[in-house]
Amino acid sequence: MAYIANRLISMAVTLFLISVITFAVTNILPGDVAMVIMGTQSNPEALAGLRESLGLNDPLTVQYGRWITGMLTGDWGNSLVFKEPIGPLIRDKMVASGMLVVLSMSIALAAAIPLGVWGAVHRDRWQDTASSTTSLLGISLPDFFWGIMLILLFARALGWLPSSGYVEPGESLTEALRHALLPSLALGLGLMAHLTRMTRSTMTNVLEEDFIRVSRAKGLSERTVVWRHGLANAIGPVMTVAGLQVGYLFGSIIVVESLFNYTGMGWLTYQALLNRDIPLIQSTVFVIAAVVMLANLLVDLLYVAIDPRIRLG
Amino acid sequence: MNWRDLLTTKGILGFGLVALVLLTAVLAPLLVPNDWATAMNMRARLEPPSLAHPLGTDQLGREILWRVLLGTTTSVWIASAAVAMSLVFGLPLGLVSGFYGGVTDNVLMRLVDALLSFPALLLALTIAAVLGPSLQNTILAIGIAFTPFLARIVRGEVLRVVRMPYVEAARAAGATDWALIRRHVLPNIAAPLIVQATISLAFAVLAEAGLSFLGLGTQPPDASWGLMIQASRDFLDRAPWTALVPGAAVAITVLGLNLFGDALRDALDAKSRPR
Repeated sequence: MAYIANRLISMAVTLFLISVITFAVTNILPGDVAMVIMGTQSNPEALAGLRESLGLNDPLTVQYGRWITGMLTGDWGNSLVFKEPIGPLIRDKMVASGMLVVLSMSIALAAAIPLGVWGAVHRDRWQDTASSTTSLLGISLPDFFWGIMLILLFARALGWLPSSGYVEPGESLTEALRHALLPSLALGLGLMAHLTRMTRSTMTNVLEEDFIRVSRAKGLSERTVVWRHGLANAIGPVMTVAGLQVGYLFGSIIVVESLFNYTGMGWLTYQALLNRDIPLIQSTVFVIAAVVMLANLLVDLLYVAIDPRIRLG
Repeated sequence: MNWRDLLTTKGILGFGLVALVLLTAVLAPLLVPNDWATAMNMRARLEPPSLAHPLGTDQLGREILWRVLLGTTTSVWIASAAVAMSLVFGLPLGLVSGFYGGVTDNVLMRLVDALLSFPALLLALTIAAVLGPSLQNTILAIGIAFTPFLARIVRGEVLRVVRMPYVEAARAAGATDWALIRRHVLPNIAAPLIVQATISLAFAVLAEAGLSFLGLGTQPPDASWGLMIQASRDFLDRAPWTALVPGAAVAITVLGLNLFGDALRDALDAKSRPR
């Protein structure tokens, strides 16, 4: 319990720092909201008036206070580009990106765990070489390049899947999944490669431990030894790394969603950055960092729930 | 570390690829005049690879061979400068945090934790958008985005070294902090740091490609692999080589760095875990 309380306090501190960093970075922007609204050619007096009415002449600490109060009370302001309230906008896009994150993580784990175990079991033989060569190739290509290859193969050549766009799951679940599949694969391939390497190295270490030798000595089948006893002890670190990769995914979606015209958080962030939509940049960046932090916290807590040694240690 | 431990298939292949890429990066601007890469030929647009156009031409009739060679220089330069920058910021941060511990460590690591919550690519993109896209700002953006990782790793390594009996002994013998850091800590964290830097280089190459692909990195007319892949999107059906060639260039570079980094790490592990 003390462990969890500790984690929650440190989470609050981190969240506060995330908000300060977000606010600070967006305030180094040359030009401010007033300039973005009225354009660079606007009349200086009108600009000064708008600045005054938006409170841009207040000290930065006051502006930060106003911004963070708004964020906490659910008043996130309006996007300058989309002319819409930011809160509902982000909620919709989060659903779209959530599908990508869950789908790509599932694809990656489903492929990486068997591949990694296979490599570890046949250590230093051709199976291991095959498994590690594939994963190194996976890591070495940028995900937008995988995306282009997938479009060429599945959308252009075979015509099986759409190459761009987003469909809301409420509208048609099958269509939503069809549109999410290629971007998820593009994200999942690189992720799979990372997780395969992680599974292989953890599993290699686990398979050298004494309890594995004991399990073999007492006559358990190789299958039980590897998949029950071995994997049960390797899965924790693999899941931790998978949790950390949520951050990597939320970086990659910016590129991949733009490539597939998939209108999720990544796409929204990119539009905000391109158009210097300062309120939207602040909100998207803050939300993404907060989600990544929460995902990591969740993984940590899950790990503690599974493995009591951490709590006691 | 024994250098012979690097003589594995992985190590040799990785070193070979990295050497090839570095050599290309240095020689390309000396051997390929810039106007070869920017010369447009409207009568030879999107030509497939042939004897006349070894790697084909792009949508403006420019030779892809020259562009991809000069792109190597851009990519290697940005990645090395960015990683060097993250070292310049991250090393002192990690050193102070790991060596002195206490409140300083707590404050710095909280800050690093918060920074690590921002996906590196998001942080780099935001910084690049804030500062305005240019070559220098791409370096700055990637360098800052990678700093928290480096600081984290340096701190961990410093903590490992500081606990060693010989450091305790030196401290007891009256060595100053600076002497301890210079004589004992720095030499002993150098090797793992080199491994990390190699792997960071691979990530930096990918980050530069991503930033340029989104138009927030290297700007035209500079040749960049990410920009080439971006431009190829509209001509994929007719001219897939416009994407495949720069894609392969990224893959060769990153693969080489990853293989070499892996081999370096294996060689280091062999020392610390004799069997």
